[in-house]
Amino acid sequence: MTAVLEIQGLRKTYRARGGPRRALDGFEMYVEAGQVHGFLGPNGSGKTTTLRTLLGLIRPDSGDMRLLGHSVPKALPQVIGQVGAIVESPQFFPHFSANDTLSLLADAGNLPQARVDWALELVGLRDRAKERVKTYSLGMKQRLAVASALLKQPKLLILDEPANGLDPGGIREMRDMMAALSAGGMTVMLSSHILGEIQLICDSVTIISLGRRVAYGPVSEVLQAHSTNQVRVRLEDVTDLASAAAVLSGAGVSVQTHPDHLLLSNVDKPALVSRVLAERQLYVSELTPLSADLEDVFLELTGTAPVPGQARQVDNSVKPEQNGVAA
Amino acid sequence: MSLVRAERRRFLKRRLIKWLLVIAVALLAIIATAVFFSNQKVDAATIAAAEAQADQEYQQQVMYWEQRHQVCGTVKEGTPEAEMCTYDLKPQRSDIRAEWYMPATFGFKANFEPLTMVWAAIIAVIAFVIGASFVGAEWSTGAMMSLLTWQPRRMRVLGTKLAVLAGWLTGIGVVTFGLWTGALWLIARLRGDTDGMTAGTWQSFGLTGLRGLGLILAMGIVGFLLASIGRHTGVALGVALAVVIVGQVGLTIVLTMLQVPYFGMYLLPMHLLAWMQKSFVVGNEFANCANPNGCEEVVKTLTWQGTGSIMLGVTVLLAVLAFWQIRRRDVA
Repeated sequence: MTAVLEIQGLRKTYRARGGPRRALDGFEMYVEAGQVHGFLGPNGSGKTTTLRTLLGLIRPDSGDMRLLGHSVPKALPQVIGQVGAIVESPQFFPHFSANDTLSLLADAGNLPQARVDWALELVGLRDRAKERVKTYSLGMKQRLAVASALLKQPKLLILDEPANGLDPGGIREMRDMMAALSAGGMTVMLSSHILGEIQLICDSVTIISLGRRVAYGPVSEVLQAHSTNQVRVRLEDVTDLASAAAVLSGAGVSVQTHPDHLLLSNVDKPALVSRVLAERQLYVSELTPLSADLEDVFLELTGTAPVPGQARQVDNSVKPEQNGVAA
Repeated sequence: MSLVRAERRRFLKRRLIKWLLVIAVALLAIIATAVFFSNQKVDAATIAAAEAQADQEYQQQVMYWEQRHQVCGTVKEGTPEAEMCTYDLKPQRSDIRAEWYMPATFGFKANFEPLTMVWAAIIAVIAFVIGASFVGAEWSTGAMMSLLTWQPRRMRVLGTKLAVLAGWLTGIGVVTFGLWTGALWLIARLRGDTDGMTAGTWQSFGLTGLRGLGLILAMGIVGFLLASIGRHTGVALGVALAVVIVGQVGLTIVLTMLQVPYFGMYLLPMHLLAWMQKSFVVGNEFANCANPNGCEEVVKTLTWQGTGSIMLGVTVLLAVLAFWQIRRRDVA
């Protein structure tokens, strides 16, 4: 597969009042053609800085970036016509209508005006196209932002939190639209905090924390790599839990005892559990392999899981070295 | 060219720009209307009546003088009355002018240039706000960032916006100058006269109009550049306010206190007058006349060339800053 987006060793340090703040610290990323790629990270992890740097809005301190095979920012003017993007919250001139907004962008990009109606139709704003943007809800502005990105009919679509402000129907429409665009050959890079959505629609993901990549690859592989092979076991008789725990420990399985079930770790073959217990007349009523979802992996890798009684600060994410996860 | 087309359309779509233009035209219309109604056409009968009134006034003044003169013949020397009588001059008919008894009339030749300054001042202020808003609002609303994701050549984007602004301001300047000249000509025809207009006079008026256009362009461009550097319309308006309050009122107070000779040379209004009138004489209120060799030089002349060079220098400096800044500074 061809990479449409490649980033290597990207660094960016901001001058801040409290001293320099490193937003990107040797960040790497690859997005292959035709995929829907999820770009995840906690607040302040460097997602938006990465996107802005890619689009030439921010000058990196160092690092190499390629878009559609061209080195950027040098060749950005040559490729920008094939890259549709929305970065952070949608930002438009509030006194222009959606129609005017897109029409002016179409002029700036030397695109046919017929695309404006097409894009507005696609995002469901056709009937409100002549109203001023300042009267729009956040979700409608978000739709307009997506329309502006689609206007170029790009090869690469970069969407930063596109579902922000959308109603449930809108989120589903957005998901279906991205699937359709991807099926049509468009590569979509999607930054979002709605991890369930990412898991549903993305082929691959990159997770960033404190400016560094902490995980990347196909969603299934990332989940597999961070799966603990845990199994939840319930018995017909709760009073047998202690005996069962002893039997399984004896068989080399790591066991955590809970009031109504056992939690087994590193179990390659759940059927073994059933067999070992049955041999001791301990009968299983439930044997459930517990698979990690993207939210679990995200919280684990970024160290951002909420801790009762603690107010986590935005910079309290985890660096790759700290959690030992190989990127 | 596509960017030029987009920016040209963007300029026309801005509501603030439309309103500012409406306000400018309304102000000019109000002034023209006031000038129209405060002047009257003077015919031969009016002139004759005024001459008669002047004659009458002359006779009355002569009568007063004769009464005073008789008194003066009897006063003793060295008294205050005698002092007053040293100025005992007989009124002359030429001292009493018939124009004083005529209604105001609008002479095109005499009034065109002062009123052209009014046009230039109004449109220049409007141009400053238009220039500042044209780019400032784009920055503050984030529309500029969106545009840069379409046209990543930042210098080109800023340059195109500036060129489009300059083009529109030139158009606005030329059209409003044409309308203003037409209105003043019409007023002169209906409520005054157009006497004494020669090709040379028209040329001179044309050059005044060109200098007015230069002022409008400079103000619009400076507003644009300040808002571009500050990335907000408010920055340009704030700088303008600071220049007016601190730079002019404050500076006048300080320079007066320090008794700086020819302090008018450091004040913006004097330079604007010099620019529009081709020259402006600045006096030295603090000239030393106790000098045995006579007074120090009491006046200096500001020329339109000198003021123009300063205006150009400031504009170029701001342009360099704005373009350097958009090239180097992150868009966040």
